[in-house]
Amino acid sequence: MKSMSILLSMVLRSKSNFFGRSMIGLLCACGAGLAIPQQAMAQAKQLPLQDFSSFKDVGKSWQIVGDVNTEQGKANAFKTAGGTGILVNLPGKKVHGQDLFSNFEHGDLDLELDYMMAEGANSGIYLQGRYELQLLDSWGVTSPKPGDNGGIYERWDDSKPEGKKGYQGYAPRQNVSKAPGLWQHLKVSFQAPRFDVAGKKIENAKMLRVELNGVLIHENIELMGATRGAIGGNEVASGPLRIQGDHGAVAFKNISLKQFDKQRPELTGLEFKAYKGRYNRDNDYTKLKPEAAGTVKTLTANASHLSQEYTLVYKGTLNVKEAGEYTIETNAQGGQGIITLDGKPVSNRGRVTLPAGNVPVGLIYSRSGDWGNPTLGLNITGPGIRTFYVGDVITPDDTDPIIVDASANTILRSFSDVPGYGKVTHAVSVGSPLQVHYTYDLDHGMVVQVWRGSFLETTPMWHDRGNGTSRPQGALQRLGKPFFTLGKLANEQATWVADSTGSGYRPKGYVLDEQDRPTFNYFIFGATVSDKVRVTENGHGISREISVSNDPGGLYAKLAEGAQIESIGKDLYLVDGKAYFLQLQETSGAKPIVRDAAGVKELIVPVRGKLSYSILF
Amino acid sequence: MKNIFRKAACYLLPLAATITQLPAFAQETPKEEDYFRIMKLSAPEGTLLEVGGLTVLPNGDLGVSTRRGDVFIVENPTSNRPFFRKFASGLHEILGLAWKDGALYCAQRGELTKLVDTNMDGKADVYETVYAWPLSGHYHEYSFGPKLAPDGSFFVSGNVAFGNEEWWRGESRVPWRGWMMHISADGSSMEPWATGMRSPCGLGMINGELFYSENQGDYMGSGGVWHVKKGSFVGHPAGLKWTGLPNSPLKLTAEQFNAQVDERKVKNEQGRYIKPENVIDEKFQIMFELKKTIPELRTPAVWLPHGVLGISNSEILAIPEGNFGPFGGQVLVGDQGQSKIMRVVMEQVKGEYQGVAFDFRQGFQSGVLRMAWAPDGSLFVGETNRGWGSAGDANEGLQRLAWNNRIPFEMKTIKAMPDGFEIEFTLPVDKKSAEDLASYEVESFIYKYHPVYGSPTVNNQKCEVKGVKVSEDGLKARIIVDNLRQYYIHNVTLNGVRAADMYYSLVHPTGYYTLNNIPDGAKLAMTGVSTRNSEKEAAAKAKAEAAKVKATKPATAKPDVAAAPKVYTYEEVKPLLAKYTCAACHNADKKQVGPAFKEIAKRRYSNDNIVKLIWNPKPENWTGYATEMPPMPQVPRADALKIASYINSLR
Repeated sequence: MKSMSILLSMVLRSKSNFFGRSMIGLLCACGAGLAIPQQAMAQAKQLPLQDFSSFKDVGKSWQIVGDVNTEQGKANAFKTAGGTGILVNLPGKKVHGQDLFSNFEHGDLDLELDYMMAEGANSGIYLQGRYELQLLDSWGVTSPKPGDNGGIYERWDDSKPEGKKGYQGYAPRQNVSKAPGLWQHLKVSFQAPRFDVAGKKIENAKMLRVELNGVLIHENIELMGATRGAIGGNEVASGPLRIQGDHGAVAFKNISLKQFDKQRPELTGLEFKAYKGRYNRDNDYTKLKPEAAGTVKTLTANASHLSQEYTLVYKGTLNVKEAGEYTIETNAQGGQGIITLDGKPVSNRGRVTLPAGNVPVGLIYSRSGDWGNPTLGLNITGPGIRTFYVGDVITPDDTDPIIVDASANTILRSFSDVPGYGKVTHAVSVGSPLQVHYTYDLDHGMVVQVWRGSFLETTPMWHDRGNGTSRPQGALQRLGKPFFTLGKLANEQATWVADSTGSGYRPKGYVLDEQDRPTFNYFIFGATVSDKVRVTENGHGISREISVSNDPGGLYAKLAEGAQIESIGKDLYLVDGKAYFLQLQETSGAKPIVRDAAGVKELIVPVRGKLSYSILF
Repeated sequence: MKNIFRKAACYLLPLAATITQLPAFAQETPKEEDYFRIMKLSAPEGTLLEVGGLTVLPNGDLGVSTRRGDVFIVENPTSNRPFFRKFASGLHEILGLAWKDGALYCAQRGELTKLVDTNMDGKADVYETVYAWPLSGHYHEYSFGPKLAPDGSFFVSGNVAFGNEEWWRGESRVPWRGWMMHISADGSSMEPWATGMRSPCGLGMINGELFYSENQGDYMGSGGVWHVKKGSFVGHPAGLKWTGLPNSPLKLTAEQFNAQVDERKVKNEQGRYIKPENVIDEKFQIMFELKKTIPELRTPAVWLPHGVLGISNSEILAIPEGNFGPFGGQVLVGDQGQSKIMRVVMEQVKGEYQGVAFDFRQGFQSGVLRMAWAPDGSLFVGETNRGWGSAGDANEGLQRLAWNNRIPFEMKTIKAMPDGFEIEFTLPVDKKSAEDLASYEVESFIYKYHPVYGSPTVNNQKCEVKGVKVSEDGLKARIIVDNLRQYYIHNVTLNGVRAADMYYSLVHPTGYYTLNNIPDGAKLAMTGVSTRNSEKEAAAKAKAEAAKVKATKPATAKPDVAAAPKVYTYEEVKPLLAKYTCAACHNADKKQVGPAFKEIAKRRYSNDNIVKLIWNPKPENWTGYATEMPPMPQVPRADALKIASYINSLR
């Protein structure tokens, strides 16, 4: 949903109203999927990580700490610092790791958290103690398996011969795993299996949605049974949240949960009357003679024989089992939908407070022509009730997405969006089969973003007229609003140059090497600059080598900016809350400086001919 | 076909006034396709050729650039099996391509780029920014070119963006949008050349001089071909925002302009801007009138009447002498929306360009954007319609147009004369038909100059043809025309003129002459001028006959019966759809540029409502259609009702 709303606003900003409006239709269509966990109204509960009060029988390997860092080259290890807020598992030779269980149980659940892998570490999150979402140091893996980070771990059948025991695992759609030592973000929407009164399973558990580092990696995956290593051989309506602790060092923070354990309201007793013509609010439909009338089981825009301009007037009952605040929105295509509850129109974006019991519902569907498929439905979200949809099937968008992958080194110029900035208009996105990609801003001689996973989606640019913009597909790491990488400073404390006035900045494009990888060239302050950006061979990030000739003197390079820049070793930095590593390689003897600049930190370094560093993420 | 016409002719004979035209039906006149053949270029399956640029290399290879950012070099492009090599990729919507000194040059959205294959592996390895210009990131900021000047310098043009709230208003958000840029041969400097462009998709270098083509839009009543001199202002005010910059060649400001032409920035009660719409029966301005007070303003050398000669004009290309038979030395202009190519012949009168435009060849598979000459004298045609739609409903295409060495009977050109026009033919005319004034029809009209999208034709007047003198060899006809108006478009139609051989009609009977200046000089002496008009003779005869009948027979006038309004068929309204240019964008069954008539019928508008919508369309009712329909109040109510009845018959 998030990416769609970005697309929408982008399109609305840049195009004529025609396209904008058609996109609104598209958005509505998307809003009516199976479930929209983001809209769920259940209060998210943050697990307190001051102590272990949310867990039971905590083993010795688990600790509450204030900070964690990996140590380069040290497998399964963290350096920790005192404090609270971070849950860390540190198994060692003497302290055998063991799994961590919540002291509560859950059924349908939205879970959101940050986690950090130690080098080479292995862990996992078991929903209901039974369905494992794998956590692993999968940094740089190009063909992820179910056993990789973000995979739905395989199930296991001991009766099968060796090599055939594992089955029904699901690899993530793409590997967007970050480096060990960096925080990764995970969002999971899980639906528990359903049982009848006799205890017989009538519906399998589902991973409705799993997002890793902002990228959808699973959607609506049916789990036929528990995965390998589940507690108990059974499946249940509710079970504890479990974190694997016996395989390696892993840390967590910002764990929040939403439980959906309340009963859905039911729409019942639907009676309709059908009239010719579009809905007219001046009509008293109770006095008009309908063309047809009847009852339906499911809300539908197709209740009568009428097909072009018509109005359906529904009456029914919403049987509310759980009192509280609800959001009830109509989804109408090929016409307009209006809902009233208890005789009152629903406004405020569908927000209503409902008592338990029967609430009279009125619904009107006005078919306004013959475009679109007549569709009527409701999206209902309630207290402890995940958004669900009742009504006609949804007609999908007829636009085929246009995807550009980088099975070889691939370059594509486009506009590229930077939040809070606008568009980078002279952007060059460079893709690698190592699944590490970056965007270079030719207006500033800057790498504005890096990402891993799939390369680009160009639907916004190549569908119809397009708006000139492409979108990274994988897990994106932005490197700041565009700024000039090189500047001329009077001294170390001088403010970074914001615009090109007086700099003589002039891009000269790029030259490809034998493997079609670009080196960018430009002039600034009279200097001739060559900026060679390469994806590292292990796919761990990018390296950048900036060479300056005709040096006018006084040049600095700004390598990073962020809320924090931590120096964690010789020439090694962690930027912006452990979002990425920056490793300096060659500064020609110049000393880097971390400094304050208007509320953020900057890493700058004087430029002496040659400068190289890597961004690892 | 022929038989039907003969039969119809028999029935019509006693009634028809224009008896002279009837023998035409006895001999079917050949059509465009009988002289100019459209052929495909075979390309590997899956090659997406949304052509944005075409250029022929010195070795005969064809360079093709695409909107998706690829550059192909096609070896042996006129052979059975051309070979496609991807020379470069990943560029930003390339809308032009040129070859110079061993390198390809192309305009991306944001820069002029030089592509060089230094290691001769068949692929570019140097992607050099020759010159970069700013962009705001609006979708409509396309850039076109380059066209090479004789000195090796480059011309590149840039589209305007559109407003956010005023999404209809072209605006220049950053310098040189809505401008022509002139980049030095070595790329070291850029000289802003001229402004007033809105959507300058077609550039042309003719005899070393720069021309460009424009589309209908706000301030642009119709498309046309402009001669672009340094410091020109060609009509759209958006680019005037930057005339204060030190290197601007003109100083006219937006404020000065707006003081002359009302911007019509009007807000409604909610404080939202109202889109300016055409006002029927208003006092309006015409572009040429503003020349008095805005000397920088340059009107088109040749108007290309919207909907007739294209709706979105593109490449301008000179025909080399020797190519396309009689048309060597003339100019071709492509059109995206109508998937066709027009022919333009210009002359200089009183130091300014003007001239005539004809239809030339339609029927390309997609929108014609680019053209380039093959070494064998055929024409490569590069096509795309993505986002706009076109008469040819394929989304993309690379085709070739070849002449079959037969000369079509056409007006080769029309030249302005002090007292009319001289029409030159490609083949000798049948003198009797050419000396008959009834064979000629001249009208003139022009467009409004206002911030409304497009314009109806206005100030339409008939111009009486007083006499004609046909040359001895039958290749020229000089007509004496009344009511010539400077700056107006004069459509000269020769429905009655026949070829001496085979009695053919003209393949294209109408030329549109933009009369920027009326030449001085001797008027034609009336000696040897034919003033015979077969229509008038016939009418006089008919009147005399009628008078006789009336005298002998009492009139048996039938009382008017209140009949149901007649429902018109396609055949009946077809001439109207052509005349009012409806057919340029609408098809009965399928989406073209605008919705199918069938789709309109489904909306169940009343006939009266359709008439209103013809006069003042509501594009906001048609999401998913990219190009706005212009207001067409010039369609008389009676004709509009006929069209409406036809549309509603499709329900």
